[in-house]
Parts: sequence; C-alpha cells; structure tokens
Amino acid sequence: MRRLLDFLVGKRHWFLFLLLEAISFIFIYRNNAYQQSVMLSTANMASARIVSFTGAVTSYLKLQDKNKALVERNGQLEIEVLRLRRQVEAMTADTTVFRGFISNENERLFPYNVVAAKVVNNSVMYLSNYITIDKGRNDGIKPDMGVISESGVVGIVSKVSDHYAVVIPLLNPKFRLSCKVLGSSYFGSMSWDGRSARYAKLDELPRHVEFKEGDIIVTSGFSAIFPEGIMVGNVSSFERQRNDNFYSLTVQLATDFHHLSNVMVIRNYHQEEQTQLEQEAKIND
Amino acid sequence: MINIVRNLAYFVILILVQILLLNNIHFLRLVTPFLYIYFIIKLPVGYTSVQVTILSFLLGIVIDMLSNTPGMHAAACTLAGFARPFIIQIFMRENLSENLIPSYKTFGYGHFIRIVLLLVTVHHVALFLIESVTLFDPLFLTIRVVAGIATTTVLICAVESFNKESRRND
Repeated sequence: MRRLLDFLVGKRHWFLFLLLEAISFIFIYRNNAYQQSVMLSTANMASARIVSFTGAVTSYLKLQDKNKALVERNGQLEIEVLRLRRQVEAMTADTTVFRGFISNENERLFPYNVVAAKVVNNSVMYLSNYITIDKGRNDGIKPDMGVISESGVVGIVSKVSDHYAVVIPLLNPKFRLSCKVLGSSYFGSMSWDGRSARYAKLDELPRHVEFKEGDIIVTSGFSAIFPEGIMVGNVSSFERQRNDNFYSLTVQLATDFHHLSNVMVIRNYHQEEQTQLEQEAKIND
Repeated sequence: MINIVRNLAYFVILILVQILLLNNIHFLRLVTPFLYIYFIIKLPVGYTSVQVTILSFLLGIVIDMLSNTPGMHAAACTLAGFARPFIIQIFMRENLSENLIPSYKTFGYGHFIRIVLLLVTVHHVALFLIESVTLFDPLFLTIRVVAGIATTTVLICAVESFNKESRRND
C-alpha cells in the first residue's frame, strides 16, 4: 500500500497531464457540438472587450477601402431605385390603384429586415473559423440568423450574448449553404475545403444545368435564413464528380473575409413559423 | 517573487502580442506564427513538471478564449509544457542552477535552437492534428505544419536574440 502511494505521488505529473488534456478535449468536443459554451468564446464580455479594442483600431486602417466600396454600393442602389421607380410608375400609370391592398401584400412577400453590425474579431487561418460581431440579444439578434456583407453572404449567427454574437462564416466546414446559378432553379450545396479564404466548393449541382466560368452564384432561398438571390460568388472552375451525375464547382467568393469590417444581420419575421412547420412535418412523417 | 512578476509579464505581453498582432498575420495565406510558446521556453529550468504543465495549460486556455478555439491551444500547450522537462533533459549539462532560464548564453546557440525546434514541433503537430479532426486533408496539413514550425522557430530565435533579459543574465 505504502509503495503504491509512493508510486502514485511520484507519477503525479502524468496524472495532471492526462487530466488537463482531458479537460481540453472536453472543450474541443463541446465546441464541435452545435451548442457551444459562451464562456469560452469571444462572445463573453471580458474577451469581447479586448478583441473589440483591436477591431476599433484596425477599422480605421480599413476606412478608405470601405468608403470606396460603400460609394460604389450607393451608386448601384441608386440605379436600382431609379429602375424600380420607373417600373412602379409604368405599372401605376393610367390604372386604378387600390392602395391598401398593395402595401399589405408587399410586406408579406418580403418579410426581411437588416441590422447593421461591426466585426470585432475575425479569423481566416483556422480550418473552423469564427467571426464575432458587436450586436447581440439586446439588438434582437438570435441564433440561426443570416449575416451578409456589402458584397455577399458571410455566414450564420451561432451563439448570442447580450451585446455580442458569434457568426459561423462560409469559411467553416460546419456551414453548408444552399446555392444556385443565377437564372436557373437547380440548386447545390456550398461548403469550404479549408484551403484558400477566397474560394469555396459548390457540390451536387445536377449535370444538365448550363453555366460557364464567371457566372454568378446566388443563394437559393430554400432555407428560412437567407432570402433568394443574395450574391455568393463567381464560378471560377468546375469538374464532374466521381459518379458523373453532378458537377463540382469552385466558386470565387464575393466576400473578402480578409477585410471584413461591416456586416448586416438579416432578420426574417417568418423564420420561426417556417422552421416550426418544417419540423412538424418531419415529426409527423 | 521576482520570478512570479517576471513570468506574469511574459504571460501578459506574449498573449497580447499574439492576439492583437500575430493572429492577424496569414503569411502567404498559409502560416500564422504562434509566438506565445516562447513563454513555455523561457520558464526557469528548476520548475517541476507539474508547475510547467499547469502554466502551459493556463496559457493555452487564455489564448483559446481570445481566439474562439475552445480547447485546441490548451491541449497543444499542455502537451508542449509536459514535454519540456524531457526535452531539456536531453541537452542538460550537469551543473544547471535552479533559476537558470534557457537562452543562447546558458545553453549555447546549437542546443537552444534545437530545444526551440523540438518544442515548437511538438506543439504544432498536436495543434494541427487536433484542428484537422473537423476536416482531414493530409497534403495541405503537412504543408501547414512544416511552414508553421519553420516560421515560429525563426521568429522565436529572432525574438530571443533581441531579448535584453537573456543578455544581462550572466
């Protein structure tokens, strides 16, 4: 007995080592599960404060580029407004207008609005990357909301604290996005292969879909998270998958994750209703 | 007492440098140097295995909390900290005093660089293997590990040669 105790005390660093490794792996495992602990991520207050300080400094360095992008975007939107105004004018000209009906109907058709947020922490170097933004539960952000930047899709909100939220971006193998080639209605599934932050893969696109290099890839709108037709990227190359019935496309992403500083969170008024309905359907099946 | 203050200073400075500066570097969109292991290397030789392992774990877990990677750095750091006494033992000369801190002067250039290289290798291999649990890609993994080890080792050796504490020490 005495010798056994001596042995255990003599080897205590081994036990400590194994214990600490076990703790680390529990954290890793819990992180890989969908619901992760807010304590150990940048969504908690203390670490969010520190990283948002960096965000505040670096955002000044990016201002010039951002300004240029915003001016461009502004121009595009202005043209869009003009185009739509003309369309509306053409439609309302010389017809009897039933105003109450139209406004109500429009709201039902497009149940989305956006909340602007700032990126306070961002990584592109890991295989599983995360982004922290400075809007949280108090600003109406909930898990599973879509996040876009001024140039395209960014990711999905995964965890929320009172003032911050962590986003799973496209640059994370856990994130799959239903996409289609603009102009067609066949959809495929987009995921990231862990290599370059500029490219992602679009798989399971049926072989008879017609497209060429440079074509635009947009969201399909089949999930309740993103509305249809949000820019994802351009086709940069493609090949047939092993079983020959599907295409696998390499897509150059529209969002530059290296220079991300302002994003928008999309809120869908009908999201809960849709997911609830879909789940009920699955249970009853 | 002086040792505690000194270690705390290393701890805080290296974590801040890692989080605020180095985590934003992706050289060739491939390599991010993990300078913070320098803390594990610069602990006094006299520290027991238990002490080094606990301090390494704390270092890793703080880095994890600040870079959204729960457990990854903690696991790799714990392994590196645990391996450190064994690695130093390989190059240990008989008459090392308790408070001796590894540096070019105390171990000689060749031995110090070898210690750094071994420790960084242990850390990086562990880190990237754990990371690749989510997505396994052998070729890319190897490239990243080798490039990471080279960058971090060079950076640590460079920082060491500018470290005033090591020069003053003898």
